[in-house]
Amino acid sequence: MKSLINKSRVKSPWLIHFDCGSCNGCDIEVLACLTPVYDIERFGILNVGNPKHADILLVTGTVNHRNKKALKNVYDQMPEPKVVVAIGACGTTGGVFREAYNVVGGVDKVIPVDAYVSGCAPKPEAIIDGVIIALGKLAEKGKRVDQGIFERLEQTQTNIKKR
Amino acid sequence: MLDELIGISILLPFIAGTLCFLVKDHRVRAGIIVATGIALTIDSLLLFQGLSGSYSYTPESLLGIDINSLITFADFALLFIILAIAFKLGNPLIILLTLLQIVPLGYFELKMAHHVEVTPAFYIDSLSVIMNLIISIVGSLICIFGIRYMEEHEHHLHLKKSRQPRFFFFLVLFLGAMNGLVFANNLLWLYFFWEVTTFCSFMLIGHDRTEIAIRNATRALWMNMSGGVAFVAAIILIFHTTGSVEYLSLQTLINHGPALTSALLLPFSLLCFSGFTKAAQVPFQSWLCGAMVAPTPVSALLHSSTMVKAGVYLVVRLAPGYQGTFLSTMVATFGAFTFLTASALAVNMSNGKKILAYSTIANLGLIIACAGINTPAAIIAAVLLIIFHAISKGLLFLCVGTIEHAIGSRDIEDMRGLYNSMPAVSRITIIGILTMMLPPFGALMSKWMAIEAAAHIPWVVVMVALGSGLTVLFWARWAGLFVSGPHLKVFEADKDSGLLGPFVTMFKGFATKVKWNAPASIKVPMVSLAVGAIVLSLAVPWLYTTLVDPVLSSYRPGVFVEPFRTGPLGITSGTGAFYVLPVFLFSILGYIVAVAAVKRKGHRVISAPYMCGEQYADCAQPKFRSHLNSWKDYIAANIYMQDIIGEEKISYWINIVSLVILIVLFGEVLR
Amino acid sequence: MSMNEVVAVIAAILVSPIIGGLVAGLDRKVTARLQGRYGPPILQPFYDVLKLFGKEKMIVNYWQIFCAYMYLVADVLTIILLALQSDLLLIFFVLAVGGVFLVIGALAAESPYSQIGAQRELIQMLTYEPLLILVFVGIYLETGSFKISEIIANYNQPLLLSLPLLFVVMGYALVIKLKKSPFDIATSHHAHQEIVKGVLTEYSGPYLAIIEISHWYETVFLLGLCALFWHTSFVWMAVLVVATYFGEVLVDNVCARLTWRWMLPHAWTGGLIMAFANYFWIYEKIG
Repeated sequence: MKSLINKSRVKSPWLIHFDCGSCNGCDIEVLACLTPVYDIERFGILNVGNPKHADILLVTGTVNHRNKKALKNVYDQMPEPKVVVAIGACGTTGGVFREAYNVVGGVDKVIPVDAYVSGCAPKPEAIIDGVIIALGKLAEKGKRVDQGIFERLEQTQTNIKKR
Repeated sequence: MLDELIGISILLPFIAGTLCFLVKDHRVRAGIIVATGIALTIDSLLLFQGLSGSYSYTPESLLGIDINSLITFADFALLFIILAIAFKLGNPLIILLTLLQIVPLGYFELKMAHHVEVTPAFYIDSLSVIMNLIISIVGSLICIFGIRYMEEHEHHLHLKKSRQPRFFFFLVLFLGAMNGLVFANNLLWLYFFWEVTTFCSFMLIGHDRTEIAIRNATRALWMNMSGGVAFVAAIILIFHTTGSVEYLSLQTLINHGPALTSALLLPFSLLCFSGFTKAAQVPFQSWLCGAMVAPTPVSALLHSSTMVKAGVYLVVRLAPGYQGTFLSTMVATFGAFTFLTASALAVNMSNGKKILAYSTIANLGLIIACAGINTPAAIIAAVLLIIFHAISKGLLFLCVGTIEHAIGSRDIEDMRGLYNSMPAVSRITIIGILTMMLPPFGALMSKWMAIEAAAHIPWVVVMVALGSGLTVLFWARWAGLFVSGPHLKVFEADKDSGLLGPFVTMFKGFATKVKWNAPASIKVPMVSLAVGAIVLSLAVPWLYTTLVDPVLSSYRPGVFVEPFRTGPLGITSGTGAFYVLPVFLFSILGYIVAVAAVKRKGHRVISAPYMCGEQYADCAQPKFRSHLNSWKDYIAANIYMQDIIGEEKISYWINIVSLVILIVLFGEVLR
Repeated sequence: MSMNEVVAVIAAILVSPIIGGLVAGLDRKVTARLQGRYGPPILQPFYDVLKLFGKEKMIVNYWQIFCAYMYLVADVLTIILLALQSDLLLIFFVLAVGGVFLVIGALAAESPYSQIGAQRELIQMLTYEPLLILVFVGIYLETGSFKISEIIANYNQPLLLSLPLLFVVMGYALVIKLKKSPFDIATSHHAHQEIVKGVLTEYSGPYLAIIEISHWYETVFLLGLCALFWHTSFVWMAVLVVATYFGEVLVDNVCARLTWRWMLPHAWTGGLIMAFANYFWIYEKIG
């Protein structure tokens, strides 16, 4: 049963797309994946609007001090197992805005990232590739969840230890 | 034996009411009320036990005075009191309506019929016993609830001098009048009790003496007095057409020969009209909604076991008399129309008591529609609906009253998340709501019977179908609001486990740390009504064979066809089946599974609702992060559709249409 | 209860979700083809539900769990009663229990999205419930019984031939109940909508899976109702069911979502007119 569930995890990744102040270049490419040309629903991928239903978080754009809270909140509201894919130059590193006074940097400054898709903007094929890589990590994390190990709890443990 | 029981059930409330009025010490008064309640309950149960078939009784005298003269005297005394009140209120309409009763009645008693004696004066069959049980048990529970409620009520109002003696005088008196009403076979006696209930309700609605209370009481008075005028007219007409006092006996009247059917149609219509006013059918719905200003026990009593039930009782009682006539179809149409429109009006109410009021009117409409459909199955549906509606509605009124005292509001929007702070009361309220709307509970089963019975008359069944859709809407969202709120940490500490866990939870609630601090006089009525609503629903097969089915046999002896069969599983008819027990058992099983799932230990994240990443920390406070990191509150409210079916908007049209139906009814009958 | 009935009940409980899931999978495949896409595998709904069972449990309020389970229980009971060929109205009332618990669960979370979704779901129930009752009354007028067993035993011609308009009326109810456009107002199968996922917004992980399974049961129940309209021949029954479902998918794909303000009056007026016309026809026929 557990292996069946784990297999299903890979076959049914629902993703949520979060825009951290991107120029919309990457967003257009993300949405292009849904069109008949790429049709990611072939892989069981659905674009959902709610982190509580999602397995994969796609983040585009640079993270700044205002939206980092929202990004963290959305990430926290995703039930585990979950993976994060940072998309585009801005998402992965902060891009050309990296040195700006209000910018924190890439997505990985706020939440752990499992796959990086470079490009400005990346091609839909590249995004799909990134998601596929993330799926591998999703399966790994799924096994840990099956054993009752949750990242959320571990973080709380380490936070308590730090204090 | 039965004679005494009948006497007690009518006279005891009169005596106890007077005692309540005279006794100044509230503890003694409470004792009197509780004792009366218990006595009435036992009395009604003994009557139920002792009765087989039907029973007639004609008392000769009371303390040496001839009863007929006594009641005639009391009748006129009452009418003159109302006349005096009408002059005091300066309301020409009520003066006119009272005079329209005094003068014809005087003429009738003195000139036309002289000394009317009808035997039997009382006639008791299953229908009377059912009504008597409802009045005595549910009514008494409400009176007992009133003891403590009125103390708090007067405390809230900062009254210097308690007005409770007067209040309980009328409240207890009401029960006696109702018992008399359902036992009476002599139409003149019935009329007397009818007027007593009108008078009592007027006094009780206006009890608080605020401007709005007096205005609404006045409205209730004139609407019910117009019903009284119709009643008097019917009595005189019956005597005029038949030329015999015999037909003033309800039983003779109902079982009249076919030769008289068309001649008696007008009196029947007038009596039905009288019933409509008392049952607050459209266009008379406003008096019952206005009655909401009264203290909760009054509204509970008026709505569940007395007053409005008198109206439907009369219509159902007369049903065999007008079976197969044009009047019957019109009564069905009229009732179904009330059911539909009152349900629609209930949808756009956020005031809990008004929702209950409109739902009452709707259910009464359905009962009247069943009486109009007039098949055995429909009559059964009507009687069952009377029973189950009385229990659940009485319960819900008590709940809203309790909640109102606790939170200071009767608006359902203010009851959001009440389960967290008042789990016990909320749970009972939810039980009340669910017993009104879901299978396998009795109210819904009656609705099932009603729909199956109404299937022959397309326009009636359409109105019933639309109306029942509307009822689900306003009940479901109300039940949902109670549980709408943040997750309670207290719940985590709950330790009911094992096989009995779910049942323990059922009684204790999920949040065990919040205790229900209420005196027994509040707890007992609420809990017993809630338990009664569930248990009686399960006992429907028994209820049907012992109580409801005999109603039919006493209706038209000889042509009696049993519309339903009972079995251990539930009730079946020739055209359908309602499996009470299997549905209930499966629901209980599901309930256990669901509660076990809630209580399952292990990792579970409690999260705030999704707010686009701007939610307030991890608790479910209704806030989101707005500009400059400020926290803003948000609120989501129910859709009340006020722009489409707002009360002010459609009430006018509803009244017009219902008047048209009534005009058509009388026009056709007169023709 | 005879042995046959026991078998029927057990089979219904076990087989219904499989059929429902496959129907959902086919639905997505056909939808994708209609949109010129390749679409997910037929078994996709099963993967989705299995995955959801493997997710971390996340709730806003414990009532959600309770209500999700009660929703499932009500829908399973609906299917059981259908398998027992019981009273149509009773089955319908039990189905309504499920709807009520779904709404209560959605109202339990103080989320504006699920709250508004719950309100819309209630209005949807308000829209289709009277229509379904009218359909059942029509069936009664034609066959003389509300009990499915007696309809099948005593009535030996396809209901569709005498109740064509009421079948269309039931179509309205199907669109709403199957969450298809233009009436996917409370929640939608597709992507997200203006109120995120409506009633289902705050249900997640295993609890969402339970609701999905209940929905499969509901689908089977609705298809069973369709099948009743041609109970005399298995072939035609299959044709009718497939054609109806395909019609629903087609409508779903060519329509945009409408508001309840449009849905309620139009569905009621259309439904009532057609129901009355059909009743009139039945009366004419009986004479």
